[in-house]
Amino acid sequence: MTEPLVIGLDEANARALATSLGGELLVQSAVDGCSTDWRWADALESWRNGANAGPKAEHIVVALFPEVLEPAALDTIDLGGWVERSEVALARWIAALGVAQQRCADGGSITAIIDRVAPLDCAGRSTETAVSDAVEALVRSLGRSEGARGVRVNLVTTPARLTTLPVVDPQPPLAAFPGSIEDQIIPTCRMLLSDDASALTSTVIHVDGGRSWR
Amino acid sequence: MNSVNTENTKVVLITGASGGVGAGVALACASAGWTTWIMARRAAEAQQIADQATLQGGSARIFIGDVGDPESVQAAIARIIKTDGRLDGIVHNATSGLSPIPTSLAEVPFEDVADHVRVSLRGTYLLAAAGHPHLVATQGSFVALTSEAGFEGKARLPVYAAVKAAQRGVVRSLAREWGPTGARANCVAPLASTPAMTAAFAHDPAMASRVLARNPLDRLGDAEADIGPVVRFLLSDESRYVNGMTIMADGGSCPIT
Repeated sequence: MTEPLVIGLDEANARALATSLGGELLVQSAVDGCSTDWRWADALESWRNGANAGPKAEHIVVALFPEVLEPAALDTIDLGGWVERSEVALARWIAALGVAQQRCADGGSITAIIDRVAPLDCAGRSTETAVSDAVEALVRSLGRSEGARGVRVNLVTTPARLTTLPVVDPQPPLAAFPGSIEDQIIPTCRMLLSDDASALTSTVIHVDGGRSWR
Repeated sequence: MNSVNTENTKVVLITGASGGVGAGVALACASAGWTTWIMARRAAEAQQIADQATLQGGSARIFIGDVGDPESVQAAIARIIKTDGRLDGIVHNATSGLSPIPTSLAEVPFEDVADHVRVSLRGTYLLAAAGHPHLVATQGSFVALTSEAGFEGKARLPVYAAVKAAQRGVVRSLAREWGPTGARANCVAPLASTPAMTAAFAHDPAMASRVLARNPLDRLGDAEADIGPVVRFLLSDESRYVNGMTIMADGGSCPIT
């Protein structure tokens, strides 16, 4: 396996992921503010269009880990908070996956990694759940559009950063829940990047110790 | 079988109801004698559906507004409460006019992404946040119209697929957040013959065969006869124990089981 291009934010998890996988980190540009009129999206669009011009890569990992915010019921989130927590986050993923689509070589693979709480634990996480479900659909869309040129596109989800313990019963089957990016996510990512996953595309792997069953 | 008489007083708000699936839902609700508020941007078309709904036995009213605008959403709900004194159900059906336009993530203008998000996703948030207190008062129901695209993705409509999936995520969380208050939230994923579907077929001629070839019922649904009653069920007391679900009303087209 060649070293992947890792697309991430300017933060520790993305850097550690790139180091562990031996790949280059392409940092997505910062977003200035979170206005409701999407002025901040100009920077993301410019970043995407510029990054699209880079060289092709056989394997690309997209791992956006924004700052984790406190859980909040939807009714308690104001519009600015809604935009910050959901719309900015989704726009970031669209930009990053757009670059991955453009730069992944024929026959290569794209693996996305996203924070996601299990359905049992999603109260207070409507914004994060919206974004993770959206990314699931984006990955499946790319799996369909890029399959014709042999590109595999898959998603790994992790509750590690978003889950607040203890969780409601029944407890997850595996004691390792909610796991960690280092111990559970990176090995899963390696499997998806390898030839062992040659028939896997549009697949979503919830690495959450059995907390999710779909 | 429950008596429909107990539900004759239901008051429901339906967005994007000046045509397509939204109009079908409005007419299905009107047929049950409900008071139906049609929220749309197109006044003439909305009035036409309202007139038809009234003829079918309901009491239909229109509110011309923009579901992505918080002031518009709050004004719509305030008007309903002032006029009818209650709100039993909210159906968010409106989608961006760009929904059937093919694009790719590598090239889509973010202005277009914003429009998708504003109508489908921000609209879901605004309606849920403003409507929840009233749905608590009536032990009412919120329904978002999503799509099979939200499960399986769409090669040429990735942003549409994303916002439809995002709605399912919001609703899943709402079901858990709202449950203790007695208000419910669910989704319906319809497959129906609509102007949007016709436009999508026009933009992608091969889409028609892709959509129909896998459909065991071998036809598109009818917005009023096939989709409307499913949404009406989720708005009704008959579904009072259904919460956080997405019902596929697609003839078995999308193999999610």
